[in-house]
Amino acid sequence: MAQAMRPQMMGARVSRVEDPRLLSGQARFLDDIQVPGMLEVAFVRSPHAAARIRGIHTEKAVQYPGVHAVLTHQECSVLLWERDTYKVGQPVLANGEVCYVGQPVVAIVAENRYVAEDAAELVVVEYEPVTPVLDMRESILEQPRRVHPEAENVFFHKKYATPGFDEAFAKAPHHLTASFRTNRQTAVSMEPRGTAAMVDAASGRVTVYASTQSPHRMREDISHLMEIPEHLVRVIVPEVGGGFGMKANCYPEDIVVVAAALKYKKPVKWVSDRMESLETDVHARDDIHDVEVAFDGDGKIIAIRDHLMADGGAYPAYPFSGAVGETSLASRVLTGPYDIPHLATEIHCTYSNKTPLGAYRGVWGPIASFIQEGVVDRVARHLGLDSAEVRRRNMIRPGQFPYRNAAGMVYDEGSYLQSMEEALTLIGYEGFRARQAKLREEGRYLGIGISVFVEPTAMASSEAGSVGYESCTIRIEPSGKVTAALGLGPSGQGHETTMAQIIADQLGVRFEDIVILHGDTDSAPFGGGTGGSRSGPIGGGAALVAGRQMRERLVKYAASLLEAGEEDIELGNGQAWVAGVPDRSIAIRTIAETAYTNVRKIPEGLPIGLELTARYLPKRPVTFSNGTHIAEVEVDIHTGVVEVTRYAVVNDCGTLINPTIVEGQIHGGVAQGIGSAILEALHYDEDGQLVTTSLLDYLLPESTDVPRIDVRHLETPSEGEGGIKGMGEGSLIAAPAAIVNAISDALTPFDGMVDTLPVTPPMVLQMVSGGRTR
Amino acid sequence: MAAVEDRISIQLQVNGRQHQVEVAPRWTLADVLRHQIGLTGTHIGCEQGVCGACTVLLDGEPVRSCLMFAVQAQGHHVTTVEGVTPETGLSPLQESFRDHHALQCGYCTPGMLLTAQALLDRNPTADEGAVREALTGNLCRCTGYQFIVDAVLAARDQGRDE
Repeated sequence: MAQAMRPQMMGARVSRVEDPRLLSGQARFLDDIQVPGMLEVAFVRSPHAAARIRGIHTEKAVQYPGVHAVLTHQECSVLLWERDTYKVGQPVLANGEVCYVGQPVVAIVAENRYVAEDAAELVVVEYEPVTPVLDMRESILEQPRRVHPEAENVFFHKKYATPGFDEAFAKAPHHLTASFRTNRQTAVSMEPRGTAAMVDAASGRVTVYASTQSPHRMREDISHLMEIPEHLVRVIVPEVGGGFGMKANCYPEDIVVVAAALKYKKPVKWVSDRMESLETDVHARDDIHDVEVAFDGDGKIIAIRDHLMADGGAYPAYPFSGAVGETSLASRVLTGPYDIPHLATEIHCTYSNKTPLGAYRGVWGPIASFIQEGVVDRVARHLGLDSAEVRRRNMIRPGQFPYRNAAGMVYDEGSYLQSMEEALTLIGYEGFRARQAKLREEGRYLGIGISVFVEPTAMASSEAGSVGYESCTIRIEPSGKVTAALGLGPSGQGHETTMAQIIADQLGVRFEDIVILHGDTDSAPFGGGTGGSRSGPIGGGAALVAGRQMRERLVKYAASLLEAGEEDIELGNGQAWVAGVPDRSIAIRTIAETAYTNVRKIPEGLPIGLELTARYLPKRPVTFSNGTHIAEVEVDIHTGVVEVTRYAVVNDCGTLINPTIVEGQIHGGVAQGIGSAILEALHYDEDGQLVTTSLLDYLLPESTDVPRIDVRHLETPSEGEGGIKGMGEGSLIAAPAAIVNAISDALTPFDGMVDTLPVTPPMVLQMVSGGRTR
Repeated sequence: MAAVEDRISIQLQVNGRQHQVEVAPRWTLADVLRHQIGLTGTHIGCEQGVCGACTVLLDGEPVRSCLMFAVQAQGHHVTTVEGVTPETGLSPLQESFRDHHALQCGYCTPGMLLTAQALLDRNPTADEGAVREALTGNLCRCTGYQFIVDAVLAARDQGRDE
């Protein structure tokens, strides 16, 4: 059996099975779902950050030809969140007040979107504006007012300190303070959000097509919020054109679409336009960290105190608030890969009159890494030390695993120092300083920035996963071909490929003979979905466990049919055979035929058929990936424009399932990191108007903004199934810090250190003119 | 309920075939391709002319089908992703995209393919800089572009060898 157990597909650079349909324009995304009689929805949205609603006049819209129905809060009064959790819940259509620009107020259901939008313009809403709450620090102090009269602005507050913190902090020989600001950003999936719903007249069930990361979670949310029993709700997730955490929520529009389909017994669809996306997809990263650091003369960091603040927006997003996710996890992983004994944190999450905060890839991570790596560079500069050397002195050593950090998080084994040393070699750190010095004389400002990251993955309960486990059903069909189903919700990660790789190795069938199903709650076993970098380690683990169980069954069949001992059976290439006697073999197809049709030959104790479901809950509550990013930039001090010129990544996500797919994830995360570091910001003006409502205002990285990325892999296996660690977020966790540290490095002659994400050309120019040239 | 607006009958030549469609004058080419002609490979990403997901070729040149009215496409040859896909299998450029993992969610991919195809048709010796420049009008949120650029350059080299 040893030979066949050797992985063949696991770790291979297999081309994706998803690609042909996507490349030929045959994939079916949400807006491609069209059935006869389908109606489309447009929303009338709040033009005010904060206002009372004095009246809604829909008569003209109702009468507009082609309009089927108009819904207000009276017709659809579902509340996201019960009041006991946060004291506040967003009504899916505004009820007497609006609390952010873009909030849905009225829904128009019409024969097509053009007509729906015409009618939306005929709706008159009488608003009485009130002073918006826009500043996080003021909001914490209940200024200028409460966002919701019934609730304090601060909806989440937490304090933590390691024992002996104050004394350790006070006794340290050196201290510095810094305030870090991350501005609002958002995921911007290329496919906007969308939902379609239709009622099956015969069964009374409602089928909901949802562009979401978590099919079962969406079914639970709809069932719970609309009081429809779960078995009467079917959620189907079509092809999803990007999610990045943003599609892990249940949104007001999802509920309105389902409500309209139920109420009018018609198929109903809504697809977001880009302006709606930027206004109402959950925002992220609206955080301030006031940090104090204590360290010794060698650069060893002794203690960090951090006051974390996050602007959660007008309502807690459903079913989790991004503000809470960003701050609580940041407070627990703030020390990153460093052995820092003391930590004190205080968290304030507050309401404002802005769009609710949710998840965007990395959630807490890009913020915490920005602070952690910014702190290290500040310590290095303060002491006149090389920043790589300061990292070496603080890094958790290989002998320290499992390592309990100052916040009590336990890290499993990783390759922290090794990843940095290899990345330094990869980028040519040694030679860089001479090149930097030479070019500086020519008036060119190059900088290099290091970011060593840890990435907690496969968390027992992550933002997208309502459960800590994942499930996999495997059915070997009578033909010997394999159908497997998981509860995942991929949006480009290639799970149909990677899960088939894992199962192929276990069953000894050809990769091409496996089909992976997902995204339909009628066929997929209950699972948490995709998010929090859980699909590889937990979903892959479930595929592995189910595959192993099915393998055991195949071996029993083969041993019985070949009259051999189970321990002598090997599987591979669609065959089972007796080790060392390849002539004594049986096709898996024949075993399958036996299992379904020749039931008298089924070995004692085995059930009829070849179908089983396995569930996998990792033993550890979390497994940590790690790695190092190093960015080289050139800053034009006359224009403030930053170019990322070179980029190196050494990544360790445990055992690789498919290195090509891992590299694709890394490249994409680095590109998003470039956006996070220097391009992307959602801006509100003083009235609370979002002024970045197109992709001309909210700038995404283009092909010329992203350099070639040199990637190397290390493999420190997890203790979980397959040794797999998650890796979907690490590259975006690490990249912004690497880039801004490089900018700070380039601007060393001007004393500048970046403290804001993103750092835009005007900010660079200010750093240049505000500093002094050495 | 009756349709609210007058529709006119137009002829569109798409992927070498004539289509007679009834359209409202304000309907975009993207919407008509997708919903009247059933070619849903053309994706809509922003309706602001920025993201390039809806790119189609008009007489061989990349255009934003979200910024054109369908009536404006009369008398021109429109090519969509379905039009560059062979009856069986994939085109060399599509194959190259698959070989190089140049797509993840795949939403931007049809527009990418058409922009890249037009570039290689026009400039069969395009270097990396030219490829990156040509693709600046097509946003991808998943790949970081590197594997897309690699795929286009490999397809270029393959075209040279033939």
